[in-house]
Amino acid sequence: MVSHSMLKKYFGQLETSLRSKLESKVTARRRFVYEIARIGSRIFDNDWSIGWTTVFVPYEILNSMGVSGMFIEFFGAMLAGSGMSSKYLEISESKGFSTDSCSYHRTIIGAAMDGLIPEPDVLIGASIPCNGGVKALKRIGEIFNKDVFILNIPIEVTPDGVDYLTDQYKEMIEYVENETGRKLDYDKLKKTIKYNNQAREYLIEVNNLCKNVPCPANSNDLKNFIIFVLLQGTKESVEVAKLYRDEFKFRVDNKISGLPEEKYRLMWIQNRIQFKTDLLNILEEKYGANIVIDELNHIWWEPMDENNPLRSLANRIITHPIVGPVDRRLEVITQLAQDYKIDGAINPAHWGCRQSAGARVLFKDALQKIGIPLIHLDVDCVDERNYAPGQIMTRLEAFLEMLSSY
Amino acid sequence: MAIEGGYGFLEGVIFVNSCDAMRRLHDVWKRYVSTKFIHILDIPMGNLSLGSKYLEIEFLKLKSALEKHISSPIKEEDIKNAICIYNISRLLYNQLNSLRMEDPPLITAGSLMKITSDFFKVEPEVWNEKIKQLIEEKKSDTPKVEQNKNPRILLSGSPLHEIEFIKFIEEIGLNVVYEDLCTGSKFFDLNVKDSNNLISSLSEAYLTRTPCARMMQIKERADQIIKNSEKFNVDGVIHHSLKFCDTYLYDVPALKKILVENGLSVLFIESDGGLGDVNQIRTRIEAFSEMIKN
Ligand code: SF4
Ligand code: SF4
Repeated sequence: MVSHSMLKKYFGQLETSLRSKLESKVTARRRFVYEIARIGSRIFDNDWSIGWTTVFVPYEILNSMGVSGMFIEFFGAMLAGSGMSSKYLEISESKGFSTDSCSYHRTIIGAAMDGLIPEPDVLIGASIPCNGGVKALKRIGEIFNKDVFILNIPIEVTPDGVDYLTDQYKEMIEYVENETGRKLDYDKLKKTIKYNNQAREYLIEVNNLCKNVPCPANSNDLKNFIIFVLLQGTKESVEVAKLYRDEFKFRVDNKISGLPEEKYRLMWIQNRIQFKTDLLNILEEKYGANIVIDELNHIWWEPMDENNPLRSLANRIITHPIVGPVDRRLEVITQLAQDYKIDGAINPAHWGCRQSAGARVLFKDALQKIGIPLIHLDVDCVDERNYAPGQIMTRLEAFLEMLSSY
Repeated sequence: MAIEGGYGFLEGVIFVNSCDAMRRLHDVWKRYVSTKFIHILDIPMGNLSLGSKYLEIEFLKLKSALEKHISSPIKEEDIKNAICIYNISRLLYNQLNSLRMEDPPLITAGSLMKITSDFFKVEPEVWNEKIKQLIEEKKSDTPKVEQNKNPRILLSGSPLHEIEFIKFIEEIGLNVVYEDLCTGSKFFDLNVKDSNNLISSLSEAYLTRTPCARMMQIKERADQIIKNSEKFNVDGVIHHSLKFCDTYLYDVPALKKILVENGLSVLFIESDGGLGDVNQIRTRIEAFSEMIKN
């Protein structure tokens, strides 16, 4: 049994080390990770209540209520990144959790069982991207004897659907008020929408800059950028987005490319591999292969209306390409492939994931139509116990070789 | 099978947004199988106050999609009629199912699963008539059941379509007396109220029925298992999850805890639902059977 002081220490150290690095030199990536570390530390700050969530919940609302939201998949990823997922996977497996389900969730369940995470004040799970997320949150809630507030994200974009989600957000606010005694600061919420729109503009520029050949970013600059959702609607998010924009613009203006010699431009589908692996470094250094776009970094939503924050937030999530039938997602993937002039795409086909592994044929067909090859890695992105780097590398090498003859 | 034309006889398919796998099946079906009518119905889970209103809208959307497909309106009285017929089916099933309260049960799980499976294939009126007859027959003659003192089992878990699977459990020497499955007795545990807003009655009935694992209400789910275990006087519960079925797999540890705390003996098994490699589960079921006999 560990205590969550270990976690507190982890975030604290991360924050301190990044702060000193930032003092010597500011880079967008450093600043981004620093802000995330601060959010990590915030779960130990008594001025905030804690909310454990799945990834697609409106953090803007939580922030405006003094609730620090944290999505469990991020924790799964973080534990994998620090080499600790195996331990927690073993714990959850020993308690009867099946190895067929997603290891992001099994890791955090194991960690919660082991006492690593502090008690949540609220738990909020959304039905998208996956049912497993809500289930995992339920199991975590049971450890603390708490129930989960569920957000049903309608699978079709209709005015009724947006109404339904907006009404659920209102119920969610009531739930949070009841559980924490904290009230929603409506002016603050309106401000989050303003920040959100500002950050959105910068991020669109960031993405557009990455369409340049060669790309100003390397494979790691925007790695796991989905965590940005934790910052959304804050002043810091605007600053981070602007830093990225400035940095990439500078590189483009000065003909500095992210990778010294970019030979292959790749798209990554869904999430990256979370444990430490030198896969991408080898791809970059040995083959000049660069991830120029991550599917999940696409900005899909329209600017939001400050005077209608709840509805705008509902609209943003309902229109996410991963919500509902796969059609919209395939359109986005196809569009990204063309806009970023990619040579090939990589889908980790994460074990047990119906979004990543489950849609493999559909991705393949969609990309094939525009002549872009796709490789499925069939790897578990969090569980490194069965990871066979040699084998994966051999397949990737063959894939790149094929790209060169395309 | 569908891609190869095995479901060519279907006029339409209605999917339900029950889980990630089902959504993907809908995606794949739409692309690779040429069924004329394809629709997906979004059913909310968990918190139901707003959900019921939303489900009404979803039912109305389905209704107009069907009307468009058949180029004719679906009248209020048609819906009333259908609700009535299906309510009768459920009543009849439950009458028949109560024969399993006897020890040994007066009807086998294998034959009941066959009856359930027929229900999904034939006109409900035809099915109702057949079941009425069957109930009469059972009433009049002394049922020809093999006398046995086999342990009584409630079967719960992911949907099962293989009647062979149930027979397999029976052959091991267990009497399955209730299927807490979306494809078994639980399916018939629903009653739609007559009202002047039938769509709303339907919505309420489906959202408040005994939940399956997908509805995220494990406590209510466990309560029903416990209640039916008492009602059917069972000796043990077998919970079967399909491989990769997150919906049920994630419930296993928590459900086990609740059921065991309530004095039930439970066996959790996982398989792909077929009878390909059953040796390992056979041994476990046999051991379980031995255990609950004592
Ligand atoms: S990887 Fe797939 S299953 Fe796992 S959390 Fe993400 S969407 Fe859900
Ligand atoms: S059996 Fe499980 S995975 Fe399959 S459709 Fe049902 S809930 Fe989904």
